[in-house]
Amino acid sequence: MTTNYLGEKMADTILKGGEYLIADLACEDIFTPEDFTDEQKQMGETTEQFIVNEIMPHIDEIDKQNFDIVVDGMQKCGELGLLMMDSPEEYGGLELDKASSMLVSEKVSMGGSFSVAYAAHTGIGTLPLIYYGTPEQKEKYLEKITSGEWIAAYCLTEPGSGSDALGAQASAVLSEDGKHYILNGTKQYITNGGFAQLYTVFAKIDKEHFTAFLVEKSFEGLVVGAEEKKLGIKGSSTTQIILDNCKVPVENVLGEIGKGHKIAFNVLNVGRFKLGAGVTGASKMALVEGIKYANERKQFKTPIAKFGAIKEKIADLTAKIFASESLVYRLAGDLDNKLATIEKGIDNYYEEYQKGIEEYAPECGISKVFCSEVLAKTVDEVVQIHGGYGFCSEYPAERYYRDERINRIFEGTNEINRLLIPGMILRKSMKGELPLQAEAMKAFEALMTPSFEEIEDVPFAAEKALLKNMKTLFLILAGAGVQKYMDKIADEQEILMAAADIAIQIYALESALLRAEKNYDNVSESKKELYLAAVKVFAFDAAEATGSAARKGAFYIEEGDTLTMILSGVRRFTKYDATGLLQAKRLLASASSESEKYLF
Amino acid sequence: MKILVCIKQVPDMESKFKVNSENTWYDSGDLAWRMNEYDEYAVEQAVQLKEQQGDADLTVLCIGPDRVKETMKKALAMGCDRGAHLQDDESHKREPLEIASIIAEYARDKEFDVVFTGMQSQDRGSGQVGVLLGEILDMSCVTTVIEFGFEAGEIKVKRELEGGVKAKVKTTTPAVLTCQLGLNTPRYPTLPNIMKAKKKELLSSPAADLLKVDSRQNTQTMYFPEKKGVGLVLEGEIADLTDELIKILKEKTGVLA
Repeated sequence: MTTNYLGEKMADTILKGGEYLIADLACEDIFTPEDFTDEQKQMGETTEQFIVNEIMPHIDEIDKQNFDIVVDGMQKCGELGLLMMDSPEEYGGLELDKASSMLVSEKVSMGGSFSVAYAAHTGIGTLPLIYYGTPEQKEKYLEKITSGEWIAAYCLTEPGSGSDALGAQASAVLSEDGKHYILNGTKQYITNGGFAQLYTVFAKIDKEHFTAFLVEKSFEGLVVGAEEKKLGIKGSSTTQIILDNCKVPVENVLGEIGKGHKIAFNVLNVGRFKLGAGVTGASKMALVEGIKYANERKQFKTPIAKFGAIKEKIADLTAKIFASESLVYRLAGDLDNKLATIEKGIDNYYEEYQKGIEEYAPECGISKVFCSEVLAKTVDEVVQIHGGYGFCSEYPAERYYRDERINRIFEGTNEINRLLIPGMILRKSMKGELPLQAEAMKAFEALMTPSFEEIEDVPFAAEKALLKNMKTLFLILAGAGVQKYMDKIADEQEILMAAADIAIQIYALESALLRAEKNYDNVSESKKELYLAAVKVFAFDAAEATGSAARKGAFYIEEGDTLTMILSGVRRFTKYDATGLLQAKRLLASASSESEKYLF
Repeated sequence: MKILVCIKQVPDMESKFKVNSENTWYDSGDLAWRMNEYDEYAVEQAVQLKEQQGDADLTVLCIGPDRVKETMKKALAMGCDRGAHLQDDESHKREPLEIASIIAEYARDKEFDVVFTGMQSQDRGSGQVGVLLGEILDMSCVTTVIEFGFEAGEIKVKRELEGGVKAKVKTTTPAVLTCQLGLNTPRYPTLPNIMKAKKKELLSSPAADLLKVDSRQNTQTMYFPEKKGVGLVLEGEIADLTDELIKILKEKTGVLA
């Protein structure tokens, strides 16, 4: 029998990626932030104190591109062990679970531009070497990277190829003596470009075989371009990397020749998921700034936090961030459970590990899209709460607003991720890994059968009923789309985007709901009320967003009687009795104002 | 060398406190817990002394309910060798003499050379436990330490007194030292040390078995101070403000009489 690292769950109960859309989960099945061990909390505290004491006082300097502070800070991170979390023990690493590394990413995110250097280094910078490096390559480079002695960067994008990463032009040709590959081309938007010592560069051997290379800064022919002038995260280094007959020893080919795409894409799954954790931390910090300002700022002789217009913003943001946080750690728990089933020490460990993560690629995409959009909403409203002062750089709200924007662009744009989410789920269905078609048939039957189900009067019953209905609605629309377009559905991007929106809302609501339910019995009466309120406020939003996306999707796909039938289904399956919604929002807002904290 | 460091778990001081239903202490529901700030200096100094000595053995002690073990793990991750948890769900009700007595009974036969404590706790703030402990165990005690040195069996410390006055004090072991802000900068527990601390000994035993004194104090009531008159901000044109100010000074104070 296999158990997870908490010794709790057995492997055979682990859900497949995307299966949440058809499964009925119990709250015990998910990991929540309340389940952190003392050690995990300690890691979070170490990280938070380090960022608050050593990085935040220098944020203005960092944003003026004083990179010495960043490089120095990264070395301190190395000393604290914050760069070795994913690295194997035999190379001095800690090989920690994902929940721990997400918590650390969340805390680092308070460091503004610094967190971008950190995330790029520990994510796309380090992981390709860990997953695909030979023992010799790891021996040579890994400890330099996990100690912070060297900073790492990842070079995939080019001036002409962003989302279409495989359309890269960079070339590699074997030298006549067979000892080197000669790389030529230009890589664009390279985070840490200015001060990295090791670059993972993707190029096509003989214009055909997409391959990754480990390129040291000192290699002949590697030229670092000028710093980009950016809207936000101004203190991160973003440059071109120009390969001008760059000589790379053949032993620095990373992974197999022609299999570079696997490296490129698999590493992005983890990146997307970690980004979800990072932006969740940034959302919490921005929210607290807004709450504090609303208490301080008086108009009409009253703190603006007392006005309903401001209260509603604070309540809505709190509920969204609760969902964002719940989603990230639920996914961390799922990944940890899955990865715990892989036997350590087997030869193809990292191959199996990759497969484990890839299983949850749809959820990784959801984490990226949902959490980054929660941050977008948060920073926007926090500027609004600040009024004119929010527009001035004297207050941090202005920087949060600018720094946020990139999160919806990098690690795969939110559009690319939205297309991937239903795309991957449908592919799983076609491969027979998920019984989506059979479930869609049932959903259609439900559409034609009236329901007289009564909702019980117990906590979260109404939200559970809504969640079930949202799943039914997703299946109806996905079923209708597939039936009409068959395997051509990939070309109908507008429909896929609508389907993604519904899938995202389902995952977010389910995560928030199950987290609240799991912890409900262990908390004080006043905390119980807060859980109920957060779930109610978010469920209302989720129902509205789902209804809007589903109606749009219905008009895109169907016409005539079928359209009418589906539209009536949209009404029925997004119905949610949110009685007490206003009181719930006021409760969240006043509790936030009183504590001047994110409530959960 | 054997070193003992005594720590306390306290609430995050930025919490919004409520008085409990008995009106004798704060309500502990929904609070986040931390290591008492002064005890962090104590732990750091104890770890530094251990590192200086090389073959020293460092025990961290904490009295309280099971949740205090989380804070003890931080001390273990900072470098303490073992943990002694003296289990007591009612520790918040104990007066300083009772706490000192429990620690003293624990330490009595263990021949500690140096005992570090914080100079006070952030929640109760009596500042008495270290001094009482020294008295019960007949050990030298120096309070409010802001510099510490140990050489050839002799402890040399600098103390902080009222009004910024400092004093240098020499003493011999065994001794109790209570640590003040400014003594050192506590280290962050590193991730590898957090993981290593998992394997360190952390034994729980009932504090009640060690309590040899009767309580001589009890808190009658605990309350927030009454709100006094709030400040007044005058706004408007300068000329009007002047008139208004003069009016207030005349009516409500004696300064213009």
